[in-house]
Amino acid sequence: MLDITKLCIFLLVVSTVAAFGVGYVNSMTAPVIHKQAEQAKVNSFREVYPQGDEVKDETAKYLKKDSSPLLKEVNMAYKGGAPAGVIYTVEPKGFSGPITILAGFDIASRKLTAIKVLNQTETPGLGAKAKDPLFQDQYKGKGTETDLEVSKTPPTKDNQIQAITASTITSKAVTSGINAAREHFAGNFK
Amino acid sequence: MSLLNEFTKGIIKENPLFRLVLGTCPALAITTSVDNGLGMGAAFTAVLLGSNIVISAMRKIIPDSIRIPVYIVIIAAFVTMIDLLMHAFSPDLYKALGIFIPLIVVNCIIIGRAEAFANRNSVVPSIFDALGMGVGFTLALVLMCTFREVLGAGTFLGVRLFPETKAAIMMILPPGGFVTFGCILGFLNKLQAKNA
Repeated sequence: MLDITKLCIFLLVVSTVAAFGVGYVNSMTAPVIHKQAEQAKVNSFREVYPQGDEVKDETAKYLKKDSSPLLKEVNMAYKGGAPAGVIYTVEPKGFSGPITILAGFDIASRKLTAIKVLNQTETPGLGAKAKDPLFQDQYKGKGTETDLEVSKTPPTKDNQIQAITASTITSKAVTSGINAAREHFAGNFK
Repeated sequence: MSLLNEFTKGIIKENPLFRLVLGTCPALAITTSVDNGLGMGAAFTAVLLGSNIVISAMRKIIPDSIRIPVYIVIIAAFVTMIDLLMHAFSPDLYKALGIFIPLIVVNCIIIGRAEAFANRNSVVPSIFDALGMGVGFTLALVLMCTFREVLGAGTFLGVRLFPETKAAIMMILPPGGFVTFGCILGFLNKLQAKNA
């Protein structure tokens, strides 16, 4: 009985010292990590909507209970104090998990500026190609009046996106996310 | 002389990856580019150095019956610290190594050295043991990375050697890891058989 108490206390002491060590390193690195995450976010906002000079999170203002569940965040890009673009974070369900995508819209021209796949867990070599420029760049400059469609053959109409070969589910998932953002954009920013 | 021995044995005679065949899981997974190999080797060496020092310093007071849980706590603490430091100060590498940093906790080389060496030797030889094993593991990783990156991507440390279309992409995919590992092991075994 005495022996086991001794062992417990020893392990407890070792764990406590280790916990303090980890806690100290965490308090040292947490601000740096947080700053990097913020910076990475700002950089990816720039990629989908380059014109703005300030981006504000206005999710609470624009996302209501009846908004599409695919929409996660709404960020407004301001230029000279006036709203110029909208950057949506959408999260459709892909072939093997959620795909997080940023989509930028320009208010003046009413067009998609660009999309960027932030996080995905699709099959490498197939669905993971969604993050390649070859696929993503198809969305650049698309109109916002009608829903985008996925086509397995080279697109013939302006609202068509060519699917990634052998990854129709991923292609459709990305497009459904963009469509949810498009619909919200068309309805809220006139 | 014996300290030098502790250091050099990890590089060739008892190379953890090619001679002891430990830590093969991360070695197969991350050896797709040379900078990954260097980063993983550095993180691994830092953890091994820390755990070897602490465990050898405490070897007389750690009760024998619970030594494994104590080792795991110590190793896990070091890994978490390295994980946080890399996340903060070298985010690109952190992203590339991904899950394999936390998995250093269960890397059998580290617990193996704790049990086989640090537990029985004082601090100074343990430091040399850790450095030798660390350098040996890093060199082994870099060797595998060199083959795979050059053949699979046509680059070395990101510098292009020949056009991508001529590269055999299989070499940076999982099968390439097994092929490279098997070839190197086979070659070393043959070399050893000749010497014996």
